[in-house]
Amino acid sequence: MNNAPILSGSRLTKRFGASTVLSDVNVAVSPGETLAITGPSGSGKSTLLHCLAGILRPDEGVVRLGAERVDTLSEGARTALRLQRMGFVFQFGQLLPELPAVENVALPLMLGGVPRREAVRRAAAWFPSLGLAGLELRRPGQLSGGQEQRVAIARALVAEPAVVFADEPTGALDSATGRQVVELLCGLAVRTGTALVVVTHDPDVAAACHRTVALRDGRVVRAEVPA
Amino acid sequence: MIGLALRLLRLGGRRAWASAGLVGAGAAVATTLLTIAVGALHGLDERESRTAWRAPAVAAADPVAQLRLRTDSAAGRSITQIDLVAPVATAAPPPGLPRMPAPGEVWVSPALAELLGTLPADELAARYPGPATGLLGEAGLQSPDELVAVIGRPAGDPVLTVPGNSDVAPVAGFDVPRPAGRDYAMTDVYRQLTIVAVALVVFPVAGLLGASARLSAARRSERLATLRLLGASARQVTVVAVAEVTAVAAVAAVVGVLLEWALSPLVAMIPLAGNGWFAADVRPGLLACLAIVAGVALLATASAVGGLRQVVVGPLGVVRRQRPQGARWLRLLGVAVALVVLLVVNSALQVVSVDAMGIVFVVAILAMFGSVALIGPLVVRVLGSRMARGAGSVPGLLAGRRLLDDPKGAFRPLAGLTLAVFVAGFLAPMTAVVAGTVTADPSMLRLTAPAGATGLEDAARARLVSIGIPASVDTVDDAREGVGLAVLPADPAQLDRARTALDGLVPGAVVQTGAEQEHEGAMLVEDLQRGALVVLVATFLVAATATGTAAAARVLDHRHTLRLLTLAGTPLVALDRARRAETVRPLFANGAIALVLGLACASPFAAAAKALEPSGLLLLAGVLVAGTALVLAATAASRPLLRSVTAPDREGSR
Ligand SMILES: Nc1ncnc2c1ncn2[C@@H]1O[C@H](COP(=O)(O)OP(=O)(O)OP(=O)(O)O)[C@@H](O)[C@H]1O
Ligand SMILES: [Mg+2]
Repeated sequence: MNNAPILSGSRLTKRFGASTVLSDVNVAVSPGETLAITGPSGSGKSTLLHCLAGILRPDEGVVRLGAERVDTLSEGARTALRLQRMGFVFQFGQLLPELPAVENVALPLMLGGVPRREAVRRAAAWFPSLGLAGLELRRPGQLSGGQEQRVAIARALVAEPAVVFADEPTGALDSATGRQVVELLCGLAVRTGTALVVVTHDPDVAAACHRTVALRDGRVVRAEVPA
Repeated sequence: MIGLALRLLRLGGRRAWASAGLVGAGAAVATTLLTIAVGALHGLDERESRTAWRAPAVAAADPVAQLRLRTDSAAGRSITQIDLVAPVATAAPPPGLPRMPAPGEVWVSPALAELLGTLPADELAARYPGPATGLLGEAGLQSPDELVAVIGRPAGDPVLTVPGNSDVAPVAGFDVPRPAGRDYAMTDVYRQLTIVAVALVVFPVAGLLGASARLSAARRSERLATLRLLGASARQVTVVAVAEVTAVAAVAAVVGVLLEWALSPLVAMIPLAGNGWFAADVRPGLLACLAIVAGVALLATASAVGGLRQVVVGPLGVVRRQRPQGARWLRLLGVAVALVVLLVVNSALQVVSVDAMGIVFVVAILAMFGSVALIGPLVVRVLGSRMARGAGSVPGLLAGRRLLDDPKGAFRPLAGLTLAVFVAGFLAPMTAVVAGTVTADPSMLRLTAPAGATGLEDAARARLVSIGIPASVDTVDDAREGVGLAVLPADPAQLDRARTALDGLVPGAVVQTGAEQEHEGAMLVEDLQRGALVVLVATFLVAATATGTAAAARVLDHRHTLRLLTLAGTPLVALDRARRAETVRPLFANGAIALVLGLACASPFAAAAKALEPSGLLLLAGVLVAGTALVLAATAASRPLLRSVTAPDREGSR
């Protein structure tokens, strides 16, 4: 495993009005490494993820992707950065209902300028390895929750991002399906050398990751590497 | 359940209010336009009942006066002159007069009084037996700017004795409930035309109402699913969703009517038949207003129910009901039926009377609107599948898939403009046709004396010389009844002075130019053109509102998806481009079809080729360009909404 972090946030502080949601948080992930962010509801997990992904701008602190400073970039530049270097998996409802599964996966490539035919070909190549063979032309509404999540994983990885962010990716799934999805996600991240940041409530999910950062009231209370 | 619906709306926060606001704005604009259209009909009725006394019931015996109605002209405007010969002083006077005018008295409308004040006496005032006695009240006037003179004449006045003045009639009384007379054919024409205008406006308005109500009902879907999860039955859920739309539409309809009332002084300035309106005339009565509000609420309710029927609200969410694809081509059958109707109408028009013309027109318009609405989704579907197949970019792909996914839903925002284009195609050739009909001479005065009159030419010349107006005076032989005199003043600016000098040369005879004699026809032409413009502006306004409403509602509908797309790095520009592709291309395709149908619909009345004449072409092009710009602007107006919905800094991704 490469030890130089690909993504780091140092001394991150974020306030919403008078309330401080994150204070002085430090995190880092290396390529191929998986990091779980845990903590009770409202502890600032999603806010931290949004800061790291350049969706929110921290009030203090520095976010770096590789050597590049993310937090000082303009909105447009951060959007472009997300498209080119990051992938996302959310709890549910992230697929466009009008598009067949394979076109949903091809979307980031097409947005990045890859011609449609090529994008669809590369997207389709992900389906067998995710156990989705034969479902390429299904609409999201015709997929099960677990299948939908796997399509979302394919979409997050298809453009070969440096970091994949997942916010409660198993939140809407039963525990067996959730475990399968997480194992798949972690396995693929390690195999492709992608850094993975997972926000989760679920101790099983956290256990599947290399490291865990636990938050409480916006502070890191525990950063550990499970045995 | 209804209480719950209203509570949900009240507590629903900004989103609920935003969507209620969209529906409300749409319904209010629609209602205002509808009320204006109905107001025009109401105004025509009011005008007619206020002027009915000018064509009173004929007395068998003991008349209260002899009445003669004629049209005079001054300063390029028409003056209605009513001579009351041998009025019975004790009889009930015509409406607007405090008492029966005595012989020699001249009662004038306020507008005429003003004109008398501005024109030199020898151009107008000298035509009357004396200075103005008093002002006519509103009760007897068609409109505030109408020029009217009521003149009392002694018994045996020459006005009566001029042969050929068959217009003179003994009056039984001025209390005329329904107009009964020859001069009201013009009003009938106007009424029929107004009915056509109402029909042209009403369907796009209904479309706007439908679009906003349906989208709002569908937008409620998440909340409805939660209610189902809690154990509400499908019917109860429908009631909740529909009650909200109905309540909002009803309130908006009241606002729309009030808005029309507030705007009525402005609406009243749009002239019809040469004059504006009393503001009260263009405000429909209370009963009509209630009917409008009820109709709007009902229509919104029906559309909301229709919108809900397309989805299955289950406890786990809302699923769009899949429709069998093949059935859609059946729509072409509907179009064929509509064309048959058009052919029938075409032949029916040859035989029906003026009174039924409007209704026949409306049937044709209805058929064409129907076929536009039937074809639209088909066109969207074909276009969508082509776009989805051929798209190389994300916006194109997204747009294509969306069109294909729900052609009817995608057509809805465009329906208004498509209908508006149809209306434009229908009206343009008509206005071009009527524009070509007025040819009469505007500078030569004509008057007709009874057959056998002699020395007219010399007398006329003498009168003109005495006031120093050089003019050529000729006797015209081809006058149908009597001796015609044609007077051409060397200086056109002296027209009114010459006319005033000649007034009374033949007692009671009308001294007018050819153009003035055809004034009513010219007015009708002008009204048709102005009416067409008003209808076009109204339909395009409705269309733009509908498009704006639907575009905004569509953003709200897709907000979750849009948000995730932005989070994942999709530039706002790409989303916007997809939206535009989704709108503009189907719009052009449908617009082209609607234009052809509009021209086809106009063809029974006017050769469609007339639309290609400069004036028709100009109108068409202007309307299309302005309309497209308007719709694009309306779509762009929801951009801030798109931005706020996709803004990362709001509410997290929960
Ligand atoms: N846009 C915002 N404006 C104001 N407060 C916010 C905003 N977004 C989040 N918060 C607050 O910040 C705190 C942390 O929110 P965050 O979404 O990061 O929690 P979380 O740990 O992800 O919780 P959960 O596990 O429930 O998703 C919460 O108290 C929340 O109310
Ligand atoms: Mg969260």
